[in-house]
Amino acid sequence: MLSGIDYFIVIAYIIGMLLLGLYFKKFVNSSEDYFLGGKSLPFWAIGMSIVVSDIGALDFVGVSGQAYRYGVSVGNFDWVGSVPAMLLAAFIFIPYFWRGGMYTIPEYLGRRYNKSVRTIASVTWILFFALDLGVLFWASAVLLNVLMGWPIWISILSTAGVVGLYTYFGGITAVIMTDVVQMIIMFIGGFALVFLGLHAVGGWENMVEKISTMGPEYQSHFDIIQPSDTKSPFPWTGILFGLTFVMANAYMIGNQSIVQRCLTAKNEWHAKASMIFGSALKMFIPILVLFPGLMAVVVHPDLADGDQALPMMIKSILPPGLVGLMFAAFFAGLMSSVDSLLNSTATLFTKDIYQPFIKKDADDKHYLKVGQITTLVLLIFGVATSPISSDFPGIYVAIQTFMSYFQGPLFAILLLGIFWKRTTQWGGLSALVIGIAFAVFLNVFKEHFFHIEDPFLYISWWSFLVGFVINVVVSLMTKKHSEDDLKGLVFSSKILTKNKSL
Amino acid sequence: MDKIDIINKRKTAKINNALGVFIALFGLIVLAAMAYTETSVQLLTDMVAGLVLVSIGGGMIWVSRRSIKKMESENEQ
Repeated sequence: MLSGIDYFIVIAYIIGMLLLGLYFKKFVNSSEDYFLGGKSLPFWAIGMSIVVSDIGALDFVGVSGQAYRYGVSVGNFDWVGSVPAMLLAAFIFIPYFWRGGMYTIPEYLGRRYNKSVRTIASVTWILFFALDLGVLFWASAVLLNVLMGWPIWISILSTAGVVGLYTYFGGITAVIMTDVVQMIIMFIGGFALVFLGLHAVGGWENMVEKISTMGPEYQSHFDIIQPSDTKSPFPWTGILFGLTFVMANAYMIGNQSIVQRCLTAKNEWHAKASMIFGSALKMFIPILVLFPGLMAVVVHPDLADGDQALPMMIKSILPPGLVGLMFAAFFAGLMSSVDSLLNSTATLFTKDIYQPFIKKDADDKHYLKVGQITTLVLLIFGVATSPISSDFPGIYVAIQTFMSYFQGPLFAILLLGIFWKRTTQWGGLSALVIGIAFAVFLNVFKEHFFHIEDPFLYISWWSFLVGFVINVVVSLMTKKHSEDDLKGLVFSSKILTKNKSL
Repeated sequence: MDKIDIINKRKTAKINNALGVFIALFGLIVLAAMAYTETSVQLLTDMVAGLVLVSIGGGMIWVSRRSIKKMESENEQ
């Protein structure tokens, strides 16, 4: 448990976040303000928010734990697994979404393919986000329970109260701006941890020497590229095909909670710049999350669970004040994941389900109210389902695995949708359905196809490939779209210039 | 600059001001935490971290207030 000044800092941080979030209520007057921040936010805030929502507190702990177990190869997720995809998103995809005045990725899919593709994509995201909420509430509650000694239900309700209030009132502006504070604090705390950690292990070279001589399982701890027959989940083949080609792009281009942030930018330049700035910040993330994991191998060599590496390093290395600040940033990371899910799900439901299927021509205030009520319903759903996480400890992994089924086929239809005029609505629909089914099949029979324990990178690659081929074959057999249908939806070299007409 | 640009600029300035206050306050708390450190390295780390937070927060407040003042003087003209 925390004590003294650190306890005070965590409490002050939680109250401060609530007040800061509520302050943004005054900027919400329409549904565009609520879902897209009135399209007025600057690139630096969006870029920071993208990085924070990508590397939430659970990932922060998880990546450090993997660095503890497998070494530096996990850093690939933030370098080749993010930066090229973010640049591709910035220069090719974001301009189309931004110029099209879109609110959601499924909205693009609906315009490019058909309503069914839009609905399937939207419902899948809503399901995934809603299920994830309960897990995140539980994780926040456990953190508060351990650090502050609060009972679990008090912890869940206080998290839901704080996040719910500022997301309900402040919309995406509150979500993004609270992320900015979190990122600044996480970076300062993280660099302090690395600095003091290096001091504790006697410098980088000393640490490398110590870890390399700890036994055969540590021999490849500093190899960023792992052989294809490695026992770790990160063989170079999986990293290149599954991560760099598919999952990274699907995440940065097809993930509603990431792309929605770019759509809040004040103009197209800021929308693109937010991704580029985010990619620059992403390059520092491995330093902040990998290094503490590696240092923990020397400082705490006998940890039963690698995921304890980062919390243990914070507790044993950081001085009073920064301990509280880092744990507050962790908690804020969880809150940031929750608020992103709440706002993105409310956007998906309002724009892709409610508006087209339930009430088409209502006034804007009505959709703003629907978005807020959806946020509230999701909050209650998340709180009610949170104890399931304790009964099924593998549920977070299961949800992430479920998401990896979806990423490959989704990216296949997004890629062909932008770059190939000939792709048709039936090509897109069949690629999405068959691609997801194929990913499920591969996962069920994974022992027969793959020799590594967790082949999610390979599954996403093969399901992408199947989705891609199905899309091409079915599109060639079905009626193509007219030029008018495709206006502003497919690639044109003009997108790379200042010319705004596509 | 059209009306929407002015409204957006004012909004950004107000947001920056709020963020700046929040971050600077946390910087002050970290500086106060120097009193609880045990070694000189810890003290130095808290001091640097606190000063960086105060500088970022103070910088944001300064930039946002300057921007608001500039807009007000342009409006008066």
